[in-house]
Amino acid sequence: MLQLGSQEVPVTFTQHTLNVEEVDKDPEGSSELSVMSEIQEANNGVSTQEGEEDPSMEVHEEFNKPQVEEEEETEKLIPPQRMIDLQRDLTTLVTNIQTAADAKESMRRTEVEEACRIRLERLENDVKSSQEIFEQITIGWSISQQKTIPQEIQEALNNQQQLCAALIEDKKKLINDLQQELKSGDDRYVKDLRKQAEELDLMMERMEEQITTLIKAYREELAQIERVHQQESEILLTRDETEWDKHLKNLCDEELERLAQRNEKVSEYEAVIHNLMLETTDKYCLIQTEQNTKFQIIDREQQKTKADNIILRINIIKQTDLVAVRKFSLTNMKSRIYSMETHIKNMVSKYSIERNKFNKKCRDLSKDYKRNILQYERIQKKIKHFAVADARTFEEMWLMMEAEVKQLAESVLVIDSQICKQHLGLAWQRPPMEFMELSGPVQPQKQVWRPGGQAVSQLFHTRQALQGSQRMMDLSVGPRLETDSTDMEMYKEGTAVQSVSGAEVHERKLPMETLKKVMELLCDEAGFLMEDTLLNLLAPLEKEEQTVVKLGSLLFAFGMEEEDVPKLAAFLLNYKHQQREQTEVRKDRDEMLAQNMFVLSQGESSNKEEEVETKSTTRVTSELIDPNYVVPALRTFLQQHVRSRESSACQHHSFQVEARDTSQDEAYWESMGNIISEDKMKLWDAAENTLKQYHAVMTDISELVPEIQSLKQQNTELRMLLQQSLNSKVSREVKKQ
Amino acid sequence: MSRSPYPPGANLNPAEHFRNTRRIIAEDPDWSLSIVPCLSDLCLQSIVGNFEENPIFEDLTPIHKDFVQERLSTALPLHVTANLISDGVYWKRCCEQRWDLCDITNYGNSWKRMFFERHMENIIELFIPDVTKPNRVEEMVPLCKNYIKRLDISQLLPPIKETQKEEEDEDEEEYGSESASDNEYIRPSTDHFDFNILLNQLTNLEELHLVYRVKQCGMNFEWNMFEMTDRDCESLAEAIKSCKTLKLLRLHQSHIEDNKCRLLVKYLLDHPSLRELDFSHNLIGDKGARAIGKLLTRSKLETLNMCDNNIRGPGAKAIAYALSMNSTLLSLNLRLNRLRDEGGQAIAKALLNNNTLLHLHLGGNEVTRPTAICLSKALVEKSTLKSINLSCNNLGVDGGRALEEALSNNTSLTECDVRLAEVDEQSASFINQVVRTNQSLQKRRTRENKTKETS
Repeated sequence: MLQLGSQEVPVTFTQHTLNVEEVDKDPEGSSELSVMSEIQEANNGVSTQEGEEDPSMEVHEEFNKPQVEEEEETEKLIPPQRMIDLQRDLTTLVTNIQTAADAKESMRRTEVEEACRIRLERLENDVKSSQEIFEQITIGWSISQQKTIPQEIQEALNNQQQLCAALIEDKKKLINDLQQELKSGDDRYVKDLRKQAEELDLMMERMEEQITTLIKAYREELAQIERVHQQESEILLTRDETEWDKHLKNLCDEELERLAQRNEKVSEYEAVIHNLMLETTDKYCLIQTEQNTKFQIIDREQQKTKADNIILRINIIKQTDLVAVRKFSLTNMKSRIYSMETHIKNMVSKYSIERNKFNKKCRDLSKDYKRNILQYERIQKKIKHFAVADARTFEEMWLMMEAEVKQLAESVLVIDSQICKQHLGLAWQRPPMEFMELSGPVQPQKQVWRPGGQAVSQLFHTRQALQGSQRMMDLSVGPRLETDSTDMEMYKEGTAVQSVSGAEVHERKLPMETLKKVMELLCDEAGFLMEDTLLNLLAPLEKEEQTVVKLGSLLFAFGMEEEDVPKLAAFLLNYKHQQREQTEVRKDRDEMLAQNMFVLSQGESSNKEEEVETKSTTRVTSELIDPNYVVPALRTFLQQHVRSRESSACQHHSFQVEARDTSQDEAYWESMGNIISEDKMKLWDAAENTLKQYHAVMTDISELVPEIQSLKQQNTELRMLLQQSLNSKVSREVKKQ
Repeated sequence: MSRSPYPPGANLNPAEHFRNTRRIIAEDPDWSLSIVPCLSDLCLQSIVGNFEENPIFEDLTPIHKDFVQERLSTALPLHVTANLISDGVYWKRCCEQRWDLCDITNYGNSWKRMFFERHMENIIELFIPDVTKPNRVEEMVPLCKNYIKRLDISQLLPPIKETQKEEEDEDEEEYGSESASDNEYIRPSTDHFDFNILLNQLTNLEELHLVYRVKQCGMNFEWNMFEMTDRDCESLAEAIKSCKTLKLLRLHQSHIEDNKCRLLVKYLLDHPSLRELDFSHNLIGDKGARAIGKLLTRSKLETLNMCDNNIRGPGAKAIAYALSMNSTLLSLNLRLNRLRDEGGQAIAKALLNNNTLLHLHLGGNEVTRPTAICLSKALVEKSTLKSINLSCNNLGVDGGRALEEALSNNTSLTECDVRLAEVDEQSASFINQVVRTNQSLQKRRTRENKTKETS
């Protein structure tokens, strides 16, 4: 135990010292030793820096002033040397402490080692001595065991106890010594620490001092250097200035001299130049005049040549222009031809297209035309059909109406007979009622259009009817007259138509000569219708040609066609005859009226007519119409012509459906209405009046009848009452009695 | 902004002046076009206001970028800003808001680098194993991996082990008692922060400074707060091996013993980029020194700092052997070890076979006369060495003389520290003089070289 403890002591001691040192120095960031070394390094660095700076400064100075002498260099070299010394001394001052500390440390180490060694020796000795004592004790134990006597044992034990105590004492002594050593070591450590702290303080102080002194020294050095520099620069400046001034002065003088020289030279040269100028101007004038003349000659020649050249050039230009123009026109033409050709081609193509189109259209139109014709025929058929239907319906209607009217007439007649028979007490005769036998519509046109034989038969028929009626009542005179007049009219018309148709029949027979003559006449008479200009134009022509042209224009003016020309001619020829014939016809009519009374035959009249016609034709051939009648004849013809055209149009329509003449229907129906005559009407009125009176009387009577009845009743009642009263009176009297 | 729109000099004839200058709406005499903000400014303001939802930055013109950077809130989440906003005013503002002292020169004149490095350091220094979730670090990695070049970690917190510690730890960091009670029974998964989750992802990391200690522990002091455990050592070694860009590893005051040193060296062998190694203020002994010697032969180290360790003669011999074979090392620091003459002589002899070493520190190694004689031989024969520190040794008068003689023929040595080496004053001053002349000579040489280059 003790050995171990004694061994540990020095080790811990040294460690302790070391560590405490370090710990104490911690606030400064590093151990004392490292600090020292760092400082040293830093100082070294500073010194080296200085060492580097100085030469650079010198070099700088050398560069600036290479002409500075060596003395100055030596002067300047001195301060750096001083600085180096200063640095070195100061750093040695600082590092001395470190080395001293190192020395102390090494001393301490040797001491520690020595102490360690001594301690170890002492411990070894102690171990040896204690071992001896221990052996003695152990021997003592064995001796004491051998002894049996208690006193001896006691003695031996005491002896042992003493030995042990001595051993313990020795050990205690040793421990005490070691503890004292430790204490002293601790004290020394503390002392060392203090010393080190002092040293550190000292070191820092010295460092600070070093820094301050160095700064001061550097400042001094700097000031000195500056001063030296200033001095040098001042010296240099003054020297340079003086030199500068000198040079300036020299320069000014030289310049002035040169100026004076130059002025002189200038004046000389001016004079020379003036003379030269005069000479040259004279010469120049002469030369100029000469040259002017030369130039004029040359100019003239040149202008001549120029003119020739221009003419030539103009000719050439003209030719070229002409050629160009022709070429241009040619090209133009060519281009136009091309364009035209293309145009033609276009047109041809267009034409073919158009033709095709037209063909197509034609076909279409022909088709349309066929279709229209078909449609037209169909419509005509329809019209026919409708006309037939209309006729039928008309007939039916007619029959129906006739029946009705007949019934009414019958009833009227009955009433009339009643009135006559019963009221008037007259004998009643039935009035003539020929139409009552008739039935169906009246058809006078057919009779007109029939040939003469038929018409005669018709007339006979009517006459027979007349005769029948004449046999009846005298009252029917008016109607008969009327029928006569109608007959007359019918006749007249018939003759007129016959004349026309006759004219138409005869017109073909007209020879070309007469026609020609008529035409000429017409031309002459109607010349006023033609224009003078035309006449003038026709004057040189032959007569025939003139008439032809005139006729053409006339026909055009009349609005006629060439086909109508023969008609016109025939009409004109007939005109006079017709005039005459009309009068004859009137006469004939009178005759016929008379003959009517005497019943003339129709055959005779027709024969007469034929005769007349033959007469007129013969007359025409023999003599032309009176020129005075030409104009009115023309007028009438034109009127007729127009009418005939219209009528022909009408006939064309009524060709299939016979047109009805309604003129006779009225008479027919009126005859029906006139069954009761005016006298009869008067009679009827009177009868009515009387009947009315009678009726009034009768109504009065009828009114009075109930009164009478009531009165009768009263009478009966009164009679009853009287009888009753009478009866009662009797009874009373009886009772009274 | 409500200042008068007219310059003060125009007050002489105000009415006339009004007529001359006021061409727009005459109702308000205070009206000024300068009060009306520009539309572009309004737009930028709205961009600034909605930066978290809709970060627009890359499309802006440089002037507008500056405008936005000056106005953005420093409280914006880092995942929005980290990879979007380049180094500039914004990061300066962030840094100055978080820390009072901001020396940008230590961070390559980059505010952004400074921010992210210090931010990451902060996270790691406050990382408590098994309490702080490792994804807190992992989340930050993609945001800052492009900007971190150096990590200077000044403390690593241990996990909570006992209920007693609860109170103590709560003074510094606040964490729940539940985890503490759990930890009474279950051994923590790691003893300190595990760098494996971090180092292999930081693609630009070049320097790593590590101290296994707890700052401001006060009266809760315990030895294991200042120790790197074996597990820590192994995980750290693996992590460093995975970090291929690392140039500088500084692992000091972390109680590294021989075994840990050997373990670390085992992983550091053939590291592609490591140039500087600092194991100062540890407890590395001869075995560790032997491992270091092996490392020197199998790496391209340029600077090795083993000061304040426990290397003795055998370890120094191993390093010396490696030094004689090495052709990359420029600086070797063996201050405050226990080389003694055995190791000192070995190193001095090794210098005879070395053509690269420039700086050698053998201060405080109990070296005596024989070493000085050997060194003086080396200085005579070789002119590569530029600085040598032999302070705090017992060289003695003879050693000083030997050095004096050696330096009289040497023109390359510019530093030679023989303070407190019990050297004769005459020789010391001579040595100093020689060194000074050499310094001035070297300056001249450099100056001549410069002039040649410039010409």
